[in-house]
Amino acid sequence: MTYVSLDLIIPVILAATASFDLLKVFGRDLMMLQQNSYRNERYTRWFSNSGESTSIGRIACCIGLLFLLVHHIPLFAGAAIATIITIWQSVRLSRVKYKKPLVWTARAKRIYAVMIALAVIAATVFGACFGIKILCVTLMLQLVVSPIVLLAANDLLKPVEKAINKKYYNEAASILASMPDLKIVGITGSYGKTSTKHYLNRILQEHFSTMMTPGSFNTTMGVIRTVREHLQPYNEVFIVEMGAKQPGDIKEICDLVHPSIGIITAVGEQHLESFKTIENVQRTKFELADSLPADGTIVINNDFPFVANREVINAGCIRYAVSNKGGEDFSATDIEYGPDGTRFTVTGKSLATPLEFSTKLVGECNVSNLLAAIIVALKLGVPADKIRYAVGQIEQVEHRLNLKRTPGGITIIDDAFNSNPQGSKMALEVLAMMKQGKRIVITPGMIELGNLQEKANEEFGKNIARCTDVAIIVGHYNRDAILKGVASEGMSPDNIHTADSFNEAQQLLQHIARPGDTVLYENDLPDTFK
Amino acid sequence: MKTNIGVFFGGRSTEHEISVISANQAINAINRDKYDVTPIYITKEGRWFTGNALLDLKNYRDIPALLRQCEEVYMRPVYGDYNLYYTNPKGVFKNKSLDCRLDIVIPVLHGANGEDGTFEGILDSIGIPYAGCDTLASANGMDKITMKMILRENDIPVVDYVWFTDRQWFADRDRLIAKTESSLGYPVIVKPANLGSSIGIGCARNREELIEKVEDATRYASRIIVEHMVEQLQEINCSVLGDCDEYETSVLEEPIKSTDILSYTDKYMGGTKGTKGMQASAKKIPADLPADMTAEIQRLAGETFRVLSCHGVSRVDVIVDRATSKIYVNEINTIPGSLSFYLWEATGVSFDKLMDRLAGLAIKRNTRRGQKTFSFSQNIFALGGGAKNGMKGKA
Repeated sequence: MTYVSLDLIIPVILAATASFDLLKVFGRDLMMLQQNSYRNERYTRWFSNSGESTSIGRIACCIGLLFLLVHHIPLFAGAAIATIITIWQSVRLSRVKYKKPLVWTARAKRIYAVMIALAVIAATVFGACFGIKILCVTLMLQLVVSPIVLLAANDLLKPVEKAINKKYYNEAASILASMPDLKIVGITGSYGKTSTKHYLNRILQEHFSTMMTPGSFNTTMGVIRTVREHLQPYNEVFIVEMGAKQPGDIKEICDLVHPSIGIITAVGEQHLESFKTIENVQRTKFELADSLPADGTIVINNDFPFVANREVINAGCIRYAVSNKGGEDFSATDIEYGPDGTRFTVTGKSLATPLEFSTKLVGECNVSNLLAAIIVALKLGVPADKIRYAVGQIEQVEHRLNLKRTPGGITIIDDAFNSNPQGSKMALEVLAMMKQGKRIVITPGMIELGNLQEKANEEFGKNIARCTDVAIIVGHYNRDAILKGVASEGMSPDNIHTADSFNEAQQLLQHIARPGDTVLYENDLPDTFK
Repeated sequence: MKTNIGVFFGGRSTEHEISVISANQAINAINRDKYDVTPIYITKEGRWFTGNALLDLKNYRDIPALLRQCEEVYMRPVYGDYNLYYTNPKGVFKNKSLDCRLDIVIPVLHGANGEDGTFEGILDSIGIPYAGCDTLASANGMDKITMKMILRENDIPVVDYVWFTDRQWFADRDRLIAKTESSLGYPVIVKPANLGSSIGIGCARNREELIEKVEDATRYASRIIVEHMVEQLQEINCSVLGDCDEYETSVLEEPIKSTDILSYTDKYMGGTKGTKGMQASAKKIPADLPADMTAEIQRLAGETFRVLSCHGVSRVDVIVDRATSKIYVNEINTIPGSLSFYLWEATGVSFDKLMDRLAGLAIKRNTRRGQKTFSFSQNIFALGGGAKNGMKGKA
């Protein structure tokens, strides 16, 4: 009869449960890397700010590791405790519902495979050399420092990703080269890009077969994907939204697509964490203008001081504005807001007569975005009456100041997409105009404002106090700043609520909201922010 | 990158061969500088084949041999999947997809299962841009009864008619005969409601003939229409091109007939060896009519096209009562023989331009359709997590 000791069985069980746990932990880490655009520096920045380094799971695994290592504790006992810990964490991780779960793209799968390979190699090598106890120690250690495995895998794969990307890049470039008559319009700006893109697409569709980069594809890879997977041979206009996380991003896209027309909707204070100064923001946005050929045209929003003060000499330039300070070529005037939308008049240096428009959209930003789209449509030769028809048809874009009524009689203003100081102020002004019932705002505040984070959220708080009756502040990130702001304007504490999560805020809302009320959802945050 | 036009033809109908001819003419007319063409032949059993051998009319004398030179294919009725797939993938790796993706479809199918909306329904499910009437217009245009009902509702003149089904006839014959005689009188024309090309059509001048013609018609269809027959009639055809927002009408033609009404023989066997389709039958283009009548017929043709929500190229056949000079719309062909190219050439639109216009119309309709399903209502209150994914609006 063979005697199999507990000192062997329990560690083997631990190896199994730890491996399983490692799969889950790797998946979670990978998800966070994906949400940080696979950039190691971003991930690291997030990691240090988020409190993940001292999360309960990590501390528990640390404890498990220690129990294994301490000599006085028998191996089977230490291993048993570690086993329980890993099982507990696996269960915990299985239960959690993430707002934005991991998407298993080919790239994600590659990184995951390398992470597992690294784990397996480490465990096997150390286990073979030093025995079952060290094998377990290796696994437990990886549970604690899993981000290191993650970043290592990401780095190892960099040359592979580069080669794959280069192949796709070349394919996209050759597709575009085979369509010399395709007119390409680039759109960038600190805010308003996506809305303007949608509006321009809808208007141009009256006259052309169009393609636009969909949803969130505003990076070079996104544009490449659109060209390879969506662009049709019969498309006549290609609208490319261009986003930037750092200087050079927009130039990179322009070098691929070679736009002949560009729109810069705004140069403002957004993503200041990466850009640091507004001059950098300006320089980056104007990479679009700089890339245009001499017979190209850049259409820019003169309402922003850092657009108005920037000269353009390499291509045609059309300046537009809503605020009418002078210096613009096209302006929107006589703006009237009503219950079903907005009316406005467009006057322009090259227009024989002013053109009148009416739209279902609300908010001055939207009039500005529509104006940019109208200018480009006129430039491309779309007849004015078709433009007018299309403008009247445009529906509000989801999550961007989108007005809805629920069957329960509550009006919802959905402004959940990446908020910025200007946009949130405008959204609150729209909320303020709703006089029937209570005016409620649910918001976690604004992010990625660098040094201005606290001040901007405080200001936000002040506006909340002025424009709303009830405020529900979600999460901890901006809570203090916003509370400071609302308090300074004298909002009654009874009307100020806080919630840890959106779910909690929703439940709170069920108790507060009554038919006739209006609820503004201002900004939404992903799981990287708590 | 050229736009790939898939031309479907053949089909399970009595007009299978005519469709082959029409399609061959159309395929030859497509401008290859701008487009690629993929021919897809639907056999009389309803199977789909593609291959270059389909482009030579001589090969159709021996269909089994022709099919051996082709690949059998199918499309998945899944929205957004425009690929052709091998029905019987060969080889070790069993590569299902043909590496052939259609961008646009131009159906050149005549008669049942091609012109009546059934095929168009598949294309709608897939969502691929195609030229020609959609399911609604095809079905209504194909069925003589519903077509007349719709036109009458819109004050477009049609002859008086009575309609019934084959079962109704056998159950209730005497009442239907009485109704026909009292509302229409004689002579009348008896037609199956939804076949083309003059099959099963007969003229009745008295009760015996009525019974005989109806029973003949019921061999071909379940729905029968009996129409007042205009004795001194002149048949005039007009083609319409476009969609119901923007369309134009062609010059008129007057087909020359050998008997009372244009028969199958007249239409397709007239003139040469029968490989020239509609073009071969004798006809007068442009029809010899006073200018105001021409204008009125064109107007009625356009109205018919618009009211039935047509698309692409159709041909409206009208009847002129020589005795009274009244004009009646007789029927519409939503995929006309030879795509009426000869009418359009006479109007100043060359065949390759006609095909180009059809392609453009297909794309335009899809763009319009895309606009209608743009915003989805989202009940935020019903969800647990507040508004959806944020963080995607990067600067």
